[in-house]
Amino acid sequence: MADLRINFAGIESPNPFWLASAPPTNSGYQVQRAFEAGWGGAVWKTLGDPILNVTSRFAAVSFNGQKVAGFNNIELITDRPLEVNLKEIYETKKLFPNHAIIASLMVAPSQEKWHEIVKRVEDAGVDGLELNFGCPHGMAERGMGSASGQVPELVEKQTYWAKEAAKTPVIVKLTPNITDITVTAEAAVNGGADAISMINTINSLAGVDIDSWNTIPHVGGKGAHGGYCGPAVKPIALHMVGECARNPLIPIPISGIGGISNWQNAVEFLLMGATGVQVCTAAMHHGFRIVEDMIEGLDHYLDDKGIASVMDLVGKSVVKYSDWGNLDLNYKIVAKINADVCINCNKCHIACEDTSHQCIDMLKDLAGNSQLKVREEDCVGCNLCSIVCPVDGAIDMIEIPSGLPPMTWNERQAALGVASCDSEK
Amino acid sequence: MSEYQQFLQERDRIDFLLQNEYKIKKITENLSGAFVEFEKKKHHKDESEYATIHITTPEARKYFSVILIKQQTEDA
Repeated sequence: MADLRINFAGIESPNPFWLASAPPTNSGYQVQRAFEAGWGGAVWKTLGDPILNVTSRFAAVSFNGQKVAGFNNIELITDRPLEVNLKEIYETKKLFPNHAIIASLMVAPSQEKWHEIVKRVEDAGVDGLELNFGCPHGMAERGMGSASGQVPELVEKQTYWAKEAAKTPVIVKLTPNITDITVTAEAAVNGGADAISMINTINSLAGVDIDSWNTIPHVGGKGAHGGYCGPAVKPIALHMVGECARNPLIPIPISGIGGISNWQNAVEFLLMGATGVQVCTAAMHHGFRIVEDMIEGLDHYLDDKGIASVMDLVGKSVVKYSDWGNLDLNYKIVAKINADVCINCNKCHIACEDTSHQCIDMLKDLAGNSQLKVREEDCVGCNLCSIVCPVDGAIDMIEIPSGLPPMTWNERQAALGVASCDSEK
Repeated sequence: MSEYQQFLQERDRIDFLLQNEYKIKKITENLSGAFVEFEKKKHHKDESEYATIHITTPEARKYFSVILIKQQTEDA
């Protein structure tokens, strides 16, 4: 069995699977149930001045039979007094001393407020703090959450204030509702953060009821934007983790969050630079026990790969993630349709003919049977045919030699620049 | 004519000049594609011959770029 333990910025955890700060970590009862199920850590639902919530808080987007492809919520931070939460944190930590308990925090941007809550929460025995600079709804209207997280100066300053009082590691949770997340990640680093976590939820409106014309969800006929998460946001989150992981100005650990639903998703985030992952929507959809499959799957994966520790996976794909200008323009793949597997549904032909490069011909073989064939010389290797194909193994994308040496756009432009200079001589 | 056939034609025109001792002198890229200016230095004279090819296909733009990089490496 591989070693699944992680050390995240000094916070030790029996495995890399943490529950994210959200409804599943609202109370000691829930977090204890989660630890019993196998979760390695939990980020407690955000603590701050207790709020008031509305009813009708969640909405999901289902797509083509997949329930909860995306999840939208307009619930705010904890509505319980700090003392109640701290008592339950203390009790839970006592029962599960080897599990990681992180307190998510959100207060108004003042030094005094940050000092007060950091001290009180650390006295309850938490292993670390996560500053919530990402919650996009409700609290942002009051200058907190993503309203703070979208202003690099506020991220830096508040991180600094939290660090002034903190004895445990400080994780800064970033909002994706910003053009370039590395800017706020760098601000967190400059403020002294020990780690960052991403992504918080994305501004969203789950839908509009076309009969009642109400928003989904609605509160007595009125709606407000919420935060979007779940499987649909995973590619966005993975990109943001990768961008931070490969940025030399952000040399601190990353906790990956965003649509992680199984062990494979977790491995992707670890490979792209996350030292651990946080999960919410999948647990809300399927319950805490999904972590059993996550642990088992990760363990088998590591054994199959001959990797002794999950920490050895961290960041292994980061070097493979770059800018477009560094990709090889002469790398060539083309589609190959396997006639023995193809069911001649023509989806690839239609997709290619209508929306791509018109390189799949509908032919008849000698017996008069329909046959789809790729004209390789016209195929640009876009992958669309294999993406729309409903049959596994019917279309392979295969490498073919281009006959040309590797050349990136950046190399090409540099050469053209030299040519222009030389021609002026 | 397919884009591939067009590429083959443009590649042939580039190769023809290269085989006749022309070298890429200057490249101008604009909304119409690329204009590749070739130069052939005459022996024992301080004179040159010039030729320009208008390249319209992306594959040919990659092709002349590879030639240019190779040329610059050899000249270095």
